Amino acid sequence: MSAVQAQQKICSEWNPVNKNDYKGIWVYVEYVNGVIKDGSLQLIGKARELASKIGTDVTAIMIGSNLGDVVKEPIYYGADRVIYVDHPALAKYIPHVYANVIVQLANKYKPEIILFAATKRGRELAPYVANSLRTGITADCTELDVDPKTRDLDQVRPTYGGNILAHIRTPTRRPQLASVRPNVFPTPPRDTSRKGEIIAETVDSLPNINGQGLIEVRSVTKGEELPPVEKADIVVVAGRGVGSADGVKLLTELAKLLGGTIGGSKKVVDAGWLSADRQVGQTGKTIRPTLYIGVGVSGAIQHVFGMKESKIIVAINSDPNAPIFQYADYGVVGDYRDVVKELIELLKSKKI
Amino acid sequence: MGGLTIIVPVKAAVPNVTAVRLDPVTHNLVREGVPLMLNPYDRNALEFALRLKDKYGGKVITISMAPPSGKDFLESTIGMGADEAYLITDRAFAGADTLATSYTIAKSVQKLFPDFDLLVFGEETTDSTTAHMPAQVASWLNLPYVYYAVDAEVKLEDRLILVTRYLEDEGVYETYEYKMPIIVSVYKNSNPPRDVSLVRKVEAKINGLVKSIDNNALKLERECIGLRGSPTIVAKIEDAKPIERKKQIFKGDPKEAAKWLLDNLIKEGVVKP
Repeated sequence: MSAVQAQQKICSEWNPVNKNDYKGIWVYVEYVNGVIKDGSLQLIGKARELASKIGTDVTAIMIGSNLGDVVKEPIYYGADRVIYVDHPALAKYIPHVYANVIVQLANKYKPEIILFAATKRGRELAPYVANSLRTGITADCTELDVDPKTRDLDQVRPTYGGNILAHIRTPTRRPQLASVRPNVFPTPPRDTSRKGEIIAETVDSLPNINGQGLIEVRSVTKGEELPPVEKADIVVVAGRGVGSADGVKLLTELAKLLGGTIGGSKKVVDAGWLSADRQVGQTGKTIRPTLYIGVGVSGAIQHVFGMKESKIIVAINSDPNAPIFQYADYGVVGDYRDVVKELIELLKSKKI
Repeated sequence: MGGLTIIVPVKAAVPNVTAVRLDPVTHNLVREGVPLMLNPYDRNALEFALRLKDKYGGKVITISMAPPSGKDFLESTIGMGADEAYLITDRAFAGADTLATSYTIAKSVQKLFPDFDLLVFGEETTDSTTAHMPAQVASWLNLPYVYYAVDAEVKLEDRLILVTRYLEDEGVYETYEYKMPIIVSVYKNSNPPRDVSLVRKVEAKINGLVKSIDNNALKLERECIGLRGSPTIVAKIEDAKPIERKKQIFKGDPKEAAKWLLDNLIKEGVVKP
């Protein structure tokens, strides 16, 4: 390109951007209540891949108070560098304060890409950061690529019900921001022999909280021993075809015998047979277990969106024409009650 | 000391997201000439706002950036209980991504209702599902914000609000205290909306209660709105491609089916023998 490419007049609220000034890929590593989110670690793996394509490196960003050794974790998962801000005022998560810290860091270091895990908090933070940097953002990406020539991030997200994939770019602004659905990329192996640079940063000032901010945190005790759907290797998913809460109970028994967990389609959650955090699908959670067993699941595109990356897919359904069979490795046509009861018997007999 | 002035920005969603038309050049969703409905999650936001009004007094105002056909769904927000409704409509706003849209909403609110206490958004829209708007508007207006609100209490004399929100993926409730004004978005599985009064909705239509405002009135800078104010482009669209699957089907005796299935899963190494 010619260096004097005619600059189009831009919004007076936007800063002028020279794309060449921006280098490196950042991953915001979400660390709340003593836990690093898997979704963030998964992004470090993906960021590595993108970075090697454009000859740059991966920096993890961490924010909090009394972070201690946890700042080394992103290195173990593949980051080249960690930049962290440790400040007593950051002990509590306050959306606009955390977002503001990331904005200040980005203004100082000028990364070309910033990735966020699309957790509930990530979806809350990322748009504020993007907007404050007067740049574009794409939500809930399921694939990322980078163009080695333009260094533009190709941000792929399912849209309009999930049957269309949109490739979104931010060709004239930097940094480029995206949030990425947890569990669409695998978590890289943790290697404690990896070394990297760790930088303690400070920020000039923090914005006013304007009140006390976070004043109470309450965990919902669920009284359930089964792991969440996004964490289990085997997930048995109930669809509307199970017909009742009792049907879900039967499937829960199967899930326990398999050492897995129970999930449900939107219909099952809407019917109140399972809690909303167990919903698999576009408006619920994306899962990629080694084994997915859909029982009475018809296979609506919105559901398939949340499970199609599973290693092995099993469908049990009485309707031989159910779309779910198109996505299945192994399908059983029949009354699920009979089939599941036989499976339970078989598994029990093996355990003895 | 008056009650609360609550603004609820709402969106005209395309009802059937699986049968949409896309502009062949910009790949944007074609909204003109398509029957529009109120984004379902905005009704939960409106309910959240109306409950606060019921408790603390004041007024609830809905506002939407939409084509002229958006008037109808704004009338339904009055039917649900909103006091006033404003349609922000101008060809100049067309083709906006979330940055340009949030700019338009933020500046409109600033100009029309500079003394608002609360901006209440739905969690996301059913057609674009970005959940960008509340945080982006918060950034333009430099205000605190909280997503996934389920409930709020107000201390009118101190202009303080306590917002409780639910983080579904952590199973955690958090309560935040802020001085108003602030911005909240409402958890989509909370605040089930009240019915729309058809009488009020028809009255809104007959009396022309929805006010239209264009950019001649707002005078927003051209470079900041619509397509020009949008840094993102939809470079390409494609059909989602499925992964190749084995598609082996068993029909017949359940006992044999169970054995066939388990044998295969053991062979695949996904179930322990």
